[in-house]
Amino acid sequence: MSRRYDSRTTIFSPEGRLYQVEYALEAISHAGTAIGVLAKDGVVLAAEKKVTSLLLEQDTSAEKMYVLNDNMLCAVAGMNADALILINHSRVIAQQYLKEYNEEIPCETLVRRLCDVKQGYTQHGGLRPFGVSFIFAGFDDRYGFQLYSSNPSGNYSGWKATSAGANTSSAQTLLKQDYKDDMTLEEAKELALKVLSKTMDSTSLSSEKIEFATVKLNSKGIVVHRIWKPTEIDQLLKSTGVVGDDDDEFS
Amino acid sequence: MDIVLGIQVEDSVIIATSKAFTRGISVLKTTDDKTRVLNDHNLMAFTGESGDTVQFAELMQANIQLHGMREQVDLRPKAIASFVRGQLAKSLRSRKPFQVNVLLAGFDETTNLPNLSMIDYLGTRVDLPYAAHGYAAFYTMSLLDHHYRSNMSVDDGLRILKMCSKELSTRMPIDFKGLYVKVVDANGIREVDFE
Amino acid sequence: MSGYDKVEYALEAVKRGTCAVGVKGKEVVVLGCEKRTTLKLQDPRITPSKINKVDNHVLLAFAGLNADARILIDKARVEAQSHKLTVEDPVTIEYLTKYVAGVQQRFTQSGGVRPFGIATLIAGFDENDNTPRLYLTEPSGIYSAWKANSIGKSSKTVREFLEKNYSKYEEEGTELSDEETIKLTIKSLLEVVQTGAKNIEIAVMKPNRVIKYLDNDEIAKVVEEIEAEKAAEAEKKKPKH
Repeated sequence: MSRRYDSRTTIFSPEGRLYQVEYALEAISHAGTAIGVLAKDGVVLAAEKKVTSLLLEQDTSAEKMYVLNDNMLCAVAGMNADALILINHSRVIAQQYLKEYNEEIPCETLVRRLCDVKQGYTQHGGLRPFGVSFIFAGFDDRYGFQLYSSNPSGNYSGWKATSAGANTSSAQTLLKQDYKDDMTLEEAKELALKVLSKTMDSTSLSSEKIEFATVKLNSKGIVVHRIWKPTEIDQLLKSTGVVGDDDDEFS
Repeated sequence: MDIVLGIQVEDSVIIATSKAFTRGISVLKTTDDKTRVLNDHNLMAFTGESGDTVQFAELMQANIQLHGMREQVDLRPKAIASFVRGQLAKSLRSRKPFQVNVLLAGFDETTNLPNLSMIDYLGTRVDLPYAAHGYAAFYTMSLLDHHYRSNMSVDDGLRILKMCSKELSTRMPIDFKGLYVKVVDANGIREVDFE
Repeated sequence: MSGYDKVEYALEAVKRGTCAVGVKGKEVVVLGCEKRTTLKLQDPRITPSKINKVDNHVLLAFAGLNADARILIDKARVEAQSHKLTVEDPVTIEYLTKYVAGVQQRFTQSGGVRPFGIATLIAGFDENDNTPRLYLTEPSGIYSAWKANSIGKSSKTVREFLEKNYSKYEEEGTELSDEETIKLTIKSLLEVVQTGAKNIEIAVMKPNRVIKYLDNDEIAKVVEEIEAEKAAEAEKKKPKH
């Protein structure tokens, strides 16, 4: 499979499907789960980290969450090296737009421009498609807070809550069950963690296994986004009660 | 000696441009429109090297139209001003720069505010309550300084413009063949009967 | 696999896309398409349409791969503006169709590329002209002019329906009014869209750059009318006891 996946320009199958794109999707379905939830006052991204080792530097090894510009960030599911190329590209696009119009790039525009690159790799160049799905969280003055997902085919769509990576269908089901319109950011955080805890292979959540990010407005109405530090994640896990203190079991 | 004049009032921007198209000492045309519609709520008035002016204005028009088509939402006045300034600044550093000065009259539908930007061929951009390029500025600025109020209505603005027009006719050494006057507001762009 | 197969297979991608219809009337051209139901968790504010504006007087509806369509439509938009910039006049509908078909053709022939997995319906009016125009382009780069046609899933059913119903007007020697054109478009879509008005999107084009997207209520009203007519007809056909 991997040979064929890497082999040559993407072509249509007799059923009109793009096999290489579907192989890429297949590869992504084994990646760590990423979840996004849109709230009325912000957006949450949460993701499962697959690479865990006691030897890994916690603070500097972000692998799932990336800042794109001042009002947008994204979570990655799939091949990280592919993701980095696209993230770099979108950072450049965002700054070019800012330079040209003196205005932040609208969320959908950035997502679309990134997806245009993805599309290109499914159509020409003798290259394989990008093996990565994204979940984007952002804010702009046209639509306010927004949540998008994109996949290797170059399709994208806007969501109230979505997921990518392993167990994505069960995550979707859980989100569908518990999502409420008009959710607050606090509730959204809790929902994201709850769904993630249920879809992850391991039983206990901790900052070693997840990454977490939020977008919201500060008291001055300016967009702030933040990729949470491990200690903050642990604190959040405790306070939301998604996991109890590990020590409890032994006391 | 083209006249390009803009006055921003409470809820709109008025743009006046001379009708004469001159070359050397001759007037070649008396119905020259020195403006181009960029999109539903943005108008560009221009002066400078003939040839360059229309070429540049239509290039900006095409780019801004394309942007609107792609994003399904039109660029706003401030963004257009940034874009046009950027293009002129880039052109200035090329082999043959556009020698074009422009006024941009726009109405921002999101903030419900009018906007008037003045940009010269060097890429200098200023957002102003009233502005003029070229000789016309010498004759009209004092009038505008004296009579302008920021909370004026369009009619008040047109009254000042009448004074400006009269002053120009009296003092300018050439006949500029009258003015085309356009108003940009929440409803879009319209021409007003002036003479 | 020969180069001809890959174009054939691209046509399969078109057939997997939702249905789009175009119908010309006397002084109107209507585009309609099947709109996928928004999922519960989808953001209803962000729904990319299958009917896209290429220039102020041209609409393009497509069936097939969404991402491919975005790229092709963007190329068409750039060409429309570039054309206007060089020759003053806006593109004619036929010129734009030729351009789009040309791009599609190029992607069937050169090495290292695959064809666009989309078919398009291009509709509009030329500048200062009241003749409605409707064209179809295919992944192979073929283009053709139509009175009415459809692309995408079940397009054959819809086309047959249109053939049968459009010819009625032709036999009578009358041309379709605006209302009749809209109605015929919706009626043909109802052949394949079971869920009614909420899954239908309609754009109506008139001369001089007039484009109107019908809202849900307007479409629902026409759907009701059609259903009432159908019911009345069924009533007539019922055997009398």
